Amino acid sequence: MPVNKKWMPKILAFCCNWCTYTGADLAGLNRMKYPADVRVLRVPCSSRVNPQFVLRAFQKGCDGVMVCGCHPGDCHYTSGNYYTRRRFMVLKEMLEFNGIEPERFQTRWISGSEAAKFRDTVAEVSELVTKLGPNTVFNERRAENV
Amino acid sequence: MSDIQSALRERARELLEDGKVEYVIGWESARGEDKTRPAFIRKAEDAGRLVWNRFCVNSTAKYLLHDRWPKGKIAVCARGCDTRAINRMLSDGQIKRENVYILGIPCEGVENKICQRCAHRNPLVYDELLGESVEEKTDFDRFANVREMQEMTLEQRRKMWEDEFTKCIRCYACRNVCPACSCRECYADQYRTGWQGKQFNSVENRVYGLTRAYHVGDRCIECGECERVCPMDLPIMLQTGKMLMQCNELFGDYECGLSADEIPALGTYNLNDADSFG
Repeated sequence: MPVNKKWMPKILAFCCNWCTYTGADLAGLNRMKYPADVRVLRVPCSSRVNPQFVLRAFQKGCDGVMVCGCHPGDCHYTSGNYYTRRRFMVLKEMLEFNGIEPERFQTRWISGSEAAKFRDTVAEVSELVTKLGPNTVFNERRAENV
Repeated sequence: MSDIQSALRERARELLEDGKVEYVIGWESARGEDKTRPAFIRKAEDAGRLVWNRFCVNSTAKYLLHDRWPKGKIAVCARGCDTRAINRMLSDGQIKRENVYILGIPCEGVENKICQRCAHRNPLVYDELLGESVEEKTDFDRFANVREMQEMTLEQRRKMWEDEFTKCIRCYACRNVCPACSCRECYADQYRTGWQGKQFNSVENRVYGLTRAYHVGDRCIECGECERVCPMDLPIMLQTGKMLMQCNELFGDYECGLSADEIPALGTYNLNDADSFG
């Protein structure tokens, strides 16, 4: 029997261990409310995120992807987020060039104390992605049905 | 052109007779007058097989990667784009300059549509130059076709790539011919890492296309070989072109393969880089 479930966006957030993950943790400690659409994935540094992880996430059915790290100058490893910045600014354009809505891929600097920013970002991205609907570009499940 | 051809044969013969080089990489006629193929000349008496005309489309530089530890020097006939490819491989640490003897050939363009957008017709690095250097072209927009495509709406672009990559047969010819692709084992060949699915459908094809473009995009020398060898005529250079254009816009003027000690745009950073992160 088909279950008529309401579609909920699936958002993957790559969070840097030292800033954004701590920020998200703080949001939890403060009992802040944010949409449950987001899945947090902890990485040692935002520059650990290979651009191919993002592609793979879209392929595996994510509707939105976030890459978050420490503010420039605050990287635990001194220069990691400068590489992140270059990489993902280019990737963002490439995704748009390939037909993915730019709203689906978000990049943010969120520090360990910016719990409210984390909450607001998740709420904002969730709203944007909900408006756009399910992602079809690069989604392999859709490809199987074609 | 025939002057260059005779000079080329002459020099190749001399180099081989003197034992200065192990072999010469160039072009020879094959299957009729209007076709050539890469030639590897090992004996001085074979030097007469070498040709140089407007049908010499193959890039000679990538063959250097097939012989990374040669016994002697390898002489390579190199046009502007081939010398950029050699610079590419030198700065990637793939080949050694002392293993290569470059016979520079000033080129006025061959039967390849990319030559209309070529800014470096003269060899950038060479041990000797055959013939007179030619005038460089400046009256063109490197990224005209990318800009054209950006005029399209998101929906149109998505449709277009969908249609294009449905044609892709994943022969990986674009990868094999690319001077920037030098991994010993390509991610696309690894089957247990999960980088790239092996299924044959437009989604996997598109992921392959985009990943390949991203891997080489900031090191692309714009030789157009990927597009030339593509059996399905996919506009692959659009992807790498977009990447380069982006690097140009974000990180300042950027052109690859101009020297042997350059650092690729995504392999470095600047504290004052543009920042669109929120």
